This record gives sequence, C-alpha cells and structure tokens, in this order.
Amino acid sequence: MAKGGTRLGSTSPKKLNERLLSGADALINWARKYSLWPMFFGLSCCFVEKATALTARYDLARFGAEVLRPSPRQADLLVVSGTVFKKIAPVVLRLYEQMAEPKWVISMGSCANCGGMYDVYSVVQGIDQILPVDVYIPGCPPRPEAVLQGIVELQKKIESESPTRPIFHLKGGTQGSVQPLRVDGRTKSRDPRGPGMQGTAIRGTSVTPPDFWGSRSDLMWTPPPQQIELNSSDQNLSRELSSRFGDAVKSRDFTSDMLTLEVADERLADVLRYLKHEATPKYQRLDDLTAIDESARRHPENYPDFTMVYHLLSYDAASRIRLTVPLNGKSPGITSITGIWPSANWYEREVFDLMGIHFDGHPNLRRIIMPPDWEGHPLRKSFPGRATEMAPYTRNDAEKLQPLDGGVYAKTDDGEHPLILNIGPHHVSTHGLLRYIASLKGEKIIGLELEIGYHHRAVEKIGERQTWHQFIPYLARVDYLAGAANDLPYLLAVETLADIKVPERAQVIRVMLSEFFRLSNHLVWLATYAHDVGAMTPNFYTFREREMILDIVELITGGRLHPSWFRIGGVAADLPEGWKAAVDQFVKLFPGRLQEYENLIRKNPIFKARTRGVGRISLQDAMDWGVTGPNLRSCGLNWDLRKKMPYSGYENFEFEVPTATEGDCYARYLVRIEEMRQSIGIIEQAANNMPSGRHVTNDYRYVIPRREDMLKDIESLIHHYINVTRGPKIPRGEAYAACEIPRGEQGYYVVSDGLGYAYRVRIRGPGFANVQVMPLLAVGESIADLIAIIGSVDYILPDIDR
Amino acid sequence: MASGALSPWEPGVFSLAVYVVLVLIFVASQLIIAVWLGEKKKTEEKLRPYESGIIPSGDARLHYPVPFYLVAIFFLIFDVEGAFIFAWAIAHGKLGWAGWLQISFFIVLLLLGLFYVWRKGGLDWGPLAQKS
Repeated sequence: MAKGGTRLGSTSPKKLNERLLSGADALINWARKYSLWPMFFGLSCCFVEKATALTARYDLARFGAEVLRPSPRQADLLVVSGTVFKKIAPVVLRLYEQMAEPKWVISMGSCANCGGMYDVYSVVQGIDQILPVDVYIPGCPPRPEAVLQGIVELQKKIESESPTRPIFHLKGGTQGSVQPLRVDGRTKSRDPRGPGMQGTAIRGTSVTPPDFWGSRSDLMWTPPPQQIELNSSDQNLSRELSSRFGDAVKSRDFTSDMLTLEVADERLADVLRYLKHEATPKYQRLDDLTAIDESARRHPENYPDFTMVYHLLSYDAASRIRLTVPLNGKSPGITSITGIWPSANWYEREVFDLMGIHFDGHPNLRRIIMPPDWEGHPLRKSFPGRATEMAPYTRNDAEKLQPLDGGVYAKTDDGEHPLILNIGPHHVSTHGLLRYIASLKGEKIIGLELEIGYHHRAVEKIGERQTWHQFIPYLARVDYLAGAANDLPYLLAVETLADIKVPERAQVIRVMLSEFFRLSNHLVWLATYAHDVGAMTPNFYTFREREMILDIVELITGGRLHPSWFRIGGVAADLPEGWKAAVDQFVKLFPGRLQEYENLIRKNPIFKARTRGVGRISLQDAMDWGVTGPNLRSCGLNWDLRKKMPYSGYENFEFEVPTATEGDCYARYLVRIEEMRQSIGIIEQAANNMPSGRHVTNDYRYVIPRREDMLKDIESLIHHYINVTRGPKIPRGEAYAACEIPRGEQGYYVVSDGLGYAYRVRIRGPGFANVQVMPLLAVGESIADLIAIIGSVDYILPDIDR
Repeated sequence: MASGALSPWEPGVFSLAVYVVLVLIFVASQLIIAVWLGEKKKTEEKLRPYESGIIPSGDARLHYPVPFYLVAIFFLIFDVEGAFIFAWAIAHGKLGWAGWLQISFFIVLLLLGLFYVWRKGGLDWGPLAQKS
C-alpha cells in the first residue's frame, strides 16, 4: 500500500476482503441449502414418517432434498430418525464419520432427541451425547410436515454459516455441524422431568419392583380372575398326561384361558415330545417360550425363583396349552428343547440373554438381543429398568463397544474361505436394523447368519413399570406399521384375565381399525417389496392410499401411526361425526386402485422371474419353525386366527382366508394382495353394520370411564382417578391372547400379581419366528435373491427385538 | 513433404501446440483447485471401507470361483471375434464373394461354438443353474 495512506491501506482492502468473502458465503450457502443429500438412514417409527415426507402428498423434492442416498459417502445430511439403541450407536457414529464433509445432523423425534418415552436400559438418552446436532424435530413420531419444517430450519442454519474461509484454508469461519456434544449433568439433563428434579424419585418408582413401599393397590379389593371350564378334550388330555407321567405333570385347577400344566423340569422334554407327536390333539407348534423372574412377588413363599412358560398350539383342534416349569437357584438350568422344535433356538437364547437361565444341550447358547459385552440380565427384577439409573452413554462408549466381527458368526471348519458380507444393520434392503452375515461363494449364498437386537426397546421391561393403562401407548410402537392392530392382543389378554366384557360396538370399531391398519401395512409392504425387486413406480402410488387410510384413522382417533386409542374395556371415544362418509368413500375407491397395482405387478415378467421359485419353504418347515401369518398361508395351510380362534367378533364377518401352495416369494405376494381385498370387505361390513351402543363397558372397575360420566357422577370420578393414577388392580393370575395382526400372530402373555401394573408382560412377535427361518429360505439362492426374499417375508424390527 | 512441414513456426502446428498447452493448464488447474478446496479429513473411520456400518471382515481379495472366469473367457472369445467381422465389413466390397463365403463360414463356426456353450450350461449363471 502507498506510504501516506495508512488509514486507507489498512481498512479498505480489509473491507473489500470481507465483502468478497461474505458474497462468496452467500453464494455457497445458497447452493448448499438447496442441494442437501440426506442419507437413507432410519432407526424406527420416525423413519416411516420421514419416508412419507418424500411421497406425493408432502413432496420433499420442493425443498431440494428428495433423493435419499444409500451410502454415507454420497450423503451430507444425517436425519437420525428414531430410537438410538446402545447396540446401534457405534454404527450411527461410524456412518456419521464416513459421510462427506461438510455435513449436518437433524435429530428427528423424541427418542433421538432425548430417549423420549423409552427411558429404558437399552436406549441412548439423546443422539446429542454422541453426535453434534443442528436441528431437533419434536414429536413421537413427528408428522411429515414437521420433517419439512426441520429441513427449512436446517436451511436457515446453513444460511448463517460462513464457509468461504475454511474452504480457502483461512482462519475462522464455520460450516457443517460443529456444536459440541452434550454432556449429562453439564450441558444437558437426562432426567425425563427436566433438570433440577434429582432429589425426587420418579413418579411410580415407589410401587414398582423391586420395592413396593408405596403401593396402595394391596388395600383394594377386586373379584378373582376369570375362571374357565376346560372342555372335554382338554380334560381327557389332562387325565392322559397324569396317567402317563404321574406326579411330574400337575394340571392347574384354576385357569383363565387354557389348560395349564405344571411340569417337573426333568420330564419336560418327554412331555413336550409326547404332546407334539402322540397326544390327541397333537400340539404341533411351539407358540412361545419364555420365563418369569418370581423374586419380586408379593408372596414369594408361594413361588419358585423362576418359572419357565411354554405355550403350544394345536392346528387340528385350534387350541392352546400352557406348560409351566418351576426352577430354583440363582442361575438355574433346564434342558433345551431345540431337538423337539428347532424354533426354540432363538427363544431359548433370548431367555438366556435376558433372564440368565441356562439351557443344557443348546447348540449355540450366547446372547441374542443385548450387545456381546453387556453385563447382567435385564429382565431380572434386580436389573435397573431405566437408562437414567445407569451411567450416561457417551461417545467413548460408541467408539469402544463395536458389534462383533462377521467372521465370528460365519465360521467354517472345512478350510474354505468364503467371502463374508455384512448386509445391515444399516442397509436399504434390510427393512430395519437387522444384520445379515452372508457367506458367499461367487454369487451363491452358502451360509447365512442373522444378528438381531439392534432394535431392542425393552417393551417387556417397560410393561412392568407402567400401569395397565399407561402401557397402551407402547403397544402400537411394537409394530409401528400395524398401529392399532397391536393394541388388541394385549387388551384381549387383560380382558380375559379380569373378565371384562367389551360392548359390541367397541368390538366392531376395533375390528374396523385393525383392518384399516392391515391395509396400511400391506400397502407399505407392496411398495417396498416391488421396489426391492426393481419396480419403483408402486412406491409413488401406494402411499397415496395409505395417506387416505391415515386420514380416516386421524379423523377417528386423532393419531396417525400410533393412535393409542383402544382402551381396556373398549375404545377411547365414540366414532366422530362424518366417519361413515369417509369410510364409504374409501371402500368405494380402493378396489379399483388395488387392481391398478395388480396390473402393474402381477403378470410383470421381471417380477415373476425374480420371485417365482425363489425363497421357498415347505409347509412342514413352516409349521415346525412357528412361521405365522401370510408367510404360513402361502405354504398351503388354511390357518388364520380370525377364522380358527375368532376374537373381537370376527366370527360375525364374512371373509375368505387366501392361501397359496408354492411357499415362494410369489406365493407370499399373492396371499397378501388377496388379503387386502378381504380386508376391504371386512371394513365395508363393519361400517355398514356398525352396532349402536356404548364404546366402552359400563363396568368401570378396571376401565377409564367415559368423560361425560366422569364429569357427572362421583362413582365414575373415583374410578377415573384410581385407574388413571395408580392403575386398576387387575386380579392375580395370567392370560395369553393372540391376534392375527398384518404380519402374523402376535400374542401377549400378561401376568398380574394383583397390582396396578403387570408383573410380567411377554410379547410373542410374529417377526421373531418368521425371521428365524431366513437361512432356510435363502441359503442356496443367489445374493440378489436375498433382497427379494427379505421383501417378501415382510418383517419389522421392533416386533422381533421388542 | 516439404522440409518445413513440422516446423513449430508453421501456423497449423503452432495453434495445435497452444491448444495442447491450454488444455493441460486447464485440466491441471481443475485438479489443483479440487485438491486444494476439497474438504479432507482423513480419520480412521473415514478411510475404512463402508459395509453397512460394520467393520468389514477379512480381505476382499479371495479366490474367485470358476464361473466368473468362464464368463470372462466367453466374453473374450465372442467379443474379439467381432473385430474380424468388423474388419471384413469395411473391406467386403474388395473381398467379394470369396470373402463373404469365408466370413460366413467363420460366423457359422462361432455360432456352433455359442450353441455348444449354451447347451453345456456355460451361460447359466449362479445358483439358478444348479437348481434347474
């Protein structure tokens, strides 16, 4: 600069510099904010709403961020949509690290923001403990509109950045997500009630295990649980068993739902083998296998340390039977039944993992749900339920606690070295957080191992601390595409146990909504399945009808994915004005739309070539492995709980149970499509013949009374107060109920110890059994077929890992 | 050819040279700008191969199964033969009927080979071949 012009020389170029830089900032920011590349990344329910934001009604494309990239290398926006599990957190961190620079993070939904309603041992209480976050979207789940707003907020944030300096290697400037991580106790509070409440116990802890010092349910009286008369076939079986096995089998005199036998552990295998192969009727299927930790009972002297519970099902007689086995000791053992039912493999591993019970003779007894380095058995009563009772999960943990190497799963002893390929947990085609470890010889799959547990939301543990009513919101989240259909088996189990009569109108409303959710689920399945085998188009259209269904659901319940609208004894409110017109319109329109999809897909030669004869499973295998739902019916068995063991008034509806015989990917397609036709018929019948009457029972002992009653008479007010605050005292006992939800048979086994919340809630998810057979379907096929098989099986992770 | 034809002072060659230099400068500048401006954070995770969020196991350099090799060989054979046919096609007028006969013989021979491979199942791919 010129000598004399110090004033001019020192300020003017600087100003010019600043102007140039800020001009460049504006240009770069403008380009960046309208060309975001979000990663195809979802953890749970929230992802469904995120994906819905891409579809026609919401059209995220308007904001310049419509194309989801399957690989982190091509993405610069991570939308953490859903629950961040401790088991998946290391994977999330790695994906973030592998993304292109500069990158941004949106935390979508209450779970990602702070753990949300899942303050439970397996969940990280906020993604901001391991990643910097730019924008938080509240909601559970946030609506698609909220996703749009989140993107707009992020665009505003990008506008405020000054990226030019870092780009030109100058000092200063900012770009991408740079906020520091949040540290519990310093920059954030994990307490679900907010900061400053440390001195007060969380509401409800005084009445939940292991201490009950505050429970007032003990002071209340309730009638005994429902008792049923056993039918003659059950009585014969009971007699036959006691004559054959003597004292080793004792039939329980008092039961609320089915024949219940107490079996001594040393004869268990013999009894089961007899029941499966020789008894009349034969109990061909192991419906469920679980255990109860009895250490926190109100009267521990009446109980062993643990109880193993086996539920069996007979296809011939359409009946169930329950076997309980008392076990004593701190970490007891029992004989494995994998030799009788191969499907027991995963169930026993789960009991081993979560309860710490050993199984002698199990081929592969190691953890299945929790991470390999986990300490303790979470479903034991002594294990802390809440994440906030444990040390916060930090970035350090996420770097250290890695999933096991694929080689651990795919061991070969014959000296061959196959290519080991990890498909998932983060993969477009795994439909959720599931890890396949495929051993490949060329393109052929020669071995397939699965690792689950990435989506373990510990619902069963939560069921032990939420009151019977409070637990309802967790139900729809067990299978987030089946919404209200999830509520039904739980409510049926509770209603069976406490002998609650549901009015006819409420039953029909429940059926109608369950069928709507069957349609909604199958529409998503159709779109994603077609997409998996290469047909993009259905994706754009099926979400159109799905939105129509969700509109109706919203009109009736006020919610979308998770209405939480069924109640013990009925439903939350009566049908609103205008429901009939909305349903009628949809019923008229839907069959035509379904035909359009059929025209696109059914005879499509590519679709047929990809699915026919692929992923075949025999009927015998399907029955042995406990496969249920459309996957079972596509093997040729006409078995649908709605027909065979009707509940909630399904016996009053006319519908067919579609079946196919091939058991391959194409058969599964045919069955589901036909199911949609039948569902729309059921909805039509329900809407046309909707009975009048109450929407909730008038016996208010266990239920939440109608609002108008609660406001008018003191009896109802008291019931309302008791049942909302401390929870209804459900009589001591147990009950199992199962429903045909879209994916198969979902069963709830509830055990009450006469308190305001369940002593044990056990969920039999259809996915757990349906996915366990995956190696049977896929080994021997080519790697490309695995994707078609996954799409055709239609599973969902929260119901596998629960 | 005149002695000065390749002289750098001849206008034609000169413009070509300038063009080449400009192209080189342009390409180099693009590369240098990209290298300089590009965001690079070489962390361990960033440099790791992406495999669904899991640390990959083992080596990607394995013994390849034979079918891949067969396909590669078939491709070579039938693709390289194309070169002969193209060469004939360009000169087919000069070669006349004799050339036509010879290339026809050649093509028929090739087709026979193709049918043989087809029949033997050499074109079937992967597990599908073993199933049927």
